[in-house]
Amino acid sequence: MTQTRGIDYGHAVRDAVLAGMVALLVFGPITGLQLSGYEVVARMQWPLLFAGIVTLGRFCMAVWVQTEAGERSLARMRAKRSGGVTVAEGKGKNWQQKLVPFALIGGLALPFILMDNRYWLTVVLLALIYVLLGLGLNIVVGLAGLLDLGYAAFYAVGAYVLAMGAQYWDMGFWGALVLAMVFGALLGMLLGFPVLRMHGDYLAIVTLGFHEIIRLILTNWVSFTGGPNGASAPLPTLFGLEFSRRAKQGGQPFHEFFGIDYSASYQYMFVYLILFLFVVAAIVFCVRLRQMPMGRAWEALREDEIACRSLGINHVTVKLSAFMMGAMFAGAAGVFFATYQGFVNPTSFTFIESAMILAIVVLGGLGSITGVVIAALVLIMLPEVLRDFASYRVLAFGIVMVLMMIWRPRGLMHIVRPRFTEKGA
Amino acid sequence: MNRSPFKKTLFASVLCASMALSGVAMAEVLKISVAGPHTGAYAAFGEQLWRGAEQAAKDINAAGGINGKMLELVKSDDACEPKQAVAVANRAVDADKVVGVVGHFCSSSTMPASEIYADADILTITPASTNPQVTERGLPTMMRMCGRDDQQGIVAGDYIVKKLGSKRVAIIHDKDTYGQGLADATRAQLRKNGLTEVLYEGLTRGEKDFNALVTKIRSLNTDAVYFGGLHTEAGPLVRQMREQGVNAVFISGDGIVSEDFATAAGGNNFVKGVQMTFGADPRKNAAGKAVIEKFRAANYEPEGYTLYSYASMQVLAAALKGSGSTSGAKMAAWLKKNPVDTVMGSKAFDAKGDLQVSDYVMYSWDDKGKYAEVQ
Amino acid sequence: MDWHIFAQQLVNGLVLGSIYGLIAIGYTMVYGIIGMINFAHGDIYMVSAYLTAIFLAILTMLGVTAVSVPLALVVVMLLTIMFTALYGWTVERVAYRPLRGSTRLAPLISAIGMSLVLQNYVQISQGARNQGIPSLIEGTLRVGGESAYVQITTVQLLIVVVSFVAMGILTYIIHKTSLGRQCRATQQDRKMANILGINTDRVISMVFLIGAAMAAIAGALVSFNYGSFDFYIGFVTGIKAFTAAVLGGIGSLPGAMLGGLILGLSESLFSGLINTDYKDVFAFALLVLVLIFRPSGLLGKPEVEKV
Repeated sequence: MTQTRGIDYGHAVRDAVLAGMVALLVFGPITGLQLSGYEVVARMQWPLLFAGIVTLGRFCMAVWVQTEAGERSLARMRAKRSGGVTVAEGKGKNWQQKLVPFALIGGLALPFILMDNRYWLTVVLLALIYVLLGLGLNIVVGLAGLLDLGYAAFYAVGAYVLAMGAQYWDMGFWGALVLAMVFGALLGMLLGFPVLRMHGDYLAIVTLGFHEIIRLILTNWVSFTGGPNGASAPLPTLFGLEFSRRAKQGGQPFHEFFGIDYSASYQYMFVYLILFLFVVAAIVFCVRLRQMPMGRAWEALREDEIACRSLGINHVTVKLSAFMMGAMFAGAAGVFFATYQGFVNPTSFTFIESAMILAIVVLGGLGSITGVVIAALVLIMLPEVLRDFASYRVLAFGIVMVLMMIWRPRGLMHIVRPRFTEKGA
Repeated sequence: MNRSPFKKTLFASVLCASMALSGVAMAEVLKISVAGPHTGAYAAFGEQLWRGAEQAAKDINAAGGINGKMLELVKSDDACEPKQAVAVANRAVDADKVVGVVGHFCSSSTMPASEIYADADILTITPASTNPQVTERGLPTMMRMCGRDDQQGIVAGDYIVKKLGSKRVAIIHDKDTYGQGLADATRAQLRKNGLTEVLYEGLTRGEKDFNALVTKIRSLNTDAVYFGGLHTEAGPLVRQMREQGVNAVFISGDGIVSEDFATAAGGNNFVKGVQMTFGADPRKNAAGKAVIEKFRAANYEPEGYTLYSYASMQVLAAALKGSGSTSGAKMAAWLKKNPVDTVMGSKAFDAKGDLQVSDYVMYSWDDKGKYAEVQ
Repeated sequence: MDWHIFAQQLVNGLVLGSIYGLIAIGYTMVYGIIGMINFAHGDIYMVSAYLTAIFLAILTMLGVTAVSVPLALVVVMLLTIMFTALYGWTVERVAYRPLRGSTRLAPLISAIGMSLVLQNYVQISQGARNQGIPSLIEGTLRVGGESAYVQITTVQLLIVVVSFVAMGILTYIIHKTSLGRQCRATQQDRKMANILGINTDRVISMVFLIGAAMAAIAGALVSFNYGSFDFYIGFVTGIKAFTAAVLGGIGSLPGAMLGGLILGLSESLFSGLINTDYKDVFAFALLVLVLIFRPSGLLGKPEVEKV
């Protein structure tokens, strides 16, 4: 094994030149020739530069994979690509569980640290909303293995429950939170029925269609939802205390009650704290669920539907329950989103939204709760970190997304199955 | 060990120096956020806002800035999504510590973001959000540099009935805050004039094929079509109307004010005779001519909202100077009392923060892809 | 409803449906062979519209358009097809091939990322503004009288004809040539095909090439027809074309064309006879209904589950 093979530079050069030529052809027309009216202006320096970078990069890569270090990491990549199941070892805590108390303390302390930095506070708040969404979709896609491309529909419904509830029935945040979860779950069930007959990607496109239908109804039903103009949504209250500068919902402002100076951060801090506790509860719920018969039935059904059905598992209730649980989470997340934004309209719930949530789940490792949390934080905070790139922001985000998938095709976290031990053993 | 005191001193002195430098810089710069869709489907409008504000900042700084303080612009991208608008608004307030905002573009972004600016007492001037609700919510720091949908609708509605004498009008919109608001306002004015439309429907933004809708318009024998929306949909719509032989007059609002409208229609011959409402052309204004020359010298045609954005910057600068304060409420109060000379002429604001005089007039497109006021 | 209005709506639907069908082929072929939804396909179509305009502008500047318009159009089409196919190939090579053999959802997310990349890459390179191409093909075929007529423009006729011809050529390639046999073999069982000596990586690359070429035909024709485009057109059309592919039975070539036509016709008729606001609701509701009664689409083969 130790014998060193020579590096085939000729091969590397061939590869590099070929890649460079393709790059030149690909970048050539679009970056090199800019349309101006019905004519084009040539700016060939850019495609030449890009092609040069690609050639050089390809050459370095071709040489590197021939070195021993390169071969080793290539082998590691291959190993990562093909999955495999790891079962938790023994009863000891793994590193993820050891981190839990730190995460809890950090999470609770965060709003007070960020009190003077409202921007990052809101970004973290938004990321936390996506953690909740990711956890919900994780049940549907990660655990039950049902590909759902229209998850944002339930999210939208949750947000509109708060906005419409406040507008027509004088409902506050807390009432809407409960109602949105019930409503979301019912809608999930409604969608679940026709979908049960379908498999894999047919299911995906039906959920996508369902999402478009919900969004179009929200847009077109102007007399009720306000259509594209949207509607405003209230902030949560703490036993009747409000967090705005002046009382709007008939209560007393929080800062007046306690006699402290007003700060716009209070409202976000309060929403953050509720949401944080909610997310913690949701995580505990998910962890427990995976060990319960229902959770195990989901995973079993994902692995082999026919085997499950022949063993007497009722696939209808199992699938429906997954859809309902997922939709329930989304409904709650919608309420938090509406109160965070103070305003809802259909542009917040486009297909891209569903795609982002799905990206969180897949990048998180399809089933790993820690993974979902990390992926949500990364994917939602990344575009904000990239704001310094100005117009290149979304481009950079897309590139990072592709690179992350190539780097970790099975997600950031490797799924570790909980180990089942007999009682008393 | 013996070197560490030296290191510490060096570090401390560097720290002091950098703090002092940043302190100096802080004192001399006033940051202004230019918020709008700099990426995404509406990026063309974001570019207009940015170009206008950029040129204005350059000109104001060249003339000595605001009492010696230079203006610095921050590009805040909301992609016309309310969610991102909230994020950038908080960023502008907290991280960038701006003293004023020019933006946002879409009304649906302006509304949630303006609540945050109002809370932080920052003056917000939107050069483009025409939805009445933007200023109707009673925020003390919200001002508007452009007209409102309801004003535009009145002009268009009256024109259709009284000047054109149309009997069968179809109203189409793009199901967006701006487009539908405009269509609704026009419909209300038409009905006030005793005319009920024969068709009121919305198309989907981002599509290009409206042939089915056009055939429907054809079957209804309309003599006028009002479109509430942007040029990206208006272009293909008017082209397909003409291709199918529908010769009804095409009328729209300021969302199609862009020479790209002719491009979007795929030829100048298709836009000939299209009518639209727009503010009295700033490009004809004496004050505006010099500024327009500057834009053209930089090989950029200041169209659409470019000059609105420029004027918004001028208003913001005047308020900073005039009120001698960076408090948004004080600046807004000053603006509501004092008219400001801008590139678009002298502008005065009413108590809500809207322009006192809305100067919407009708324009008509010719077969060279240019528009001129209807006499 | 007058007969001529109804007939006109049929023509409208036919034209729209042909475009959907052409783009749907790219989705359906890629899905059939590697089982992934290629979300970047709509953006490949968008890129092809830009390429069309760029090549047309070059030919106009060289004076070819002034000599012969049909010659210029043919050259533009061929160049666009070649370069767009190269884009399809590159996207597969860069973003999907490294993910081969991992979960089925990984390439899906990579495709969403790629779609963002393509959109923003074009926006930054070519600007966010609308771009257009001059109308070179004039003429309208009109049947009927002064006010009661049915018409189709030459470009629209071209769209329908070219779509069906392209479809025919593709069917021939898939069913009669060696490449087609390799494609079908890879589709049925990739591992087995590999063992039998088929270079499946190459076959998959070819499928992306062909899909992109079809999208390029659609992109070129659409820009001739509507005269304008922007960097965002891929998104809406892409979703519709994907719907068409599923409606017809994903993985089936005639299904893609049939799905496209049904979707185009139903959109056009619903919009014309009932209401434009809800035409997309109708389109998606139709899809759900079809899938409830035929879970594998209209022409798709029912999935056989092996134990």
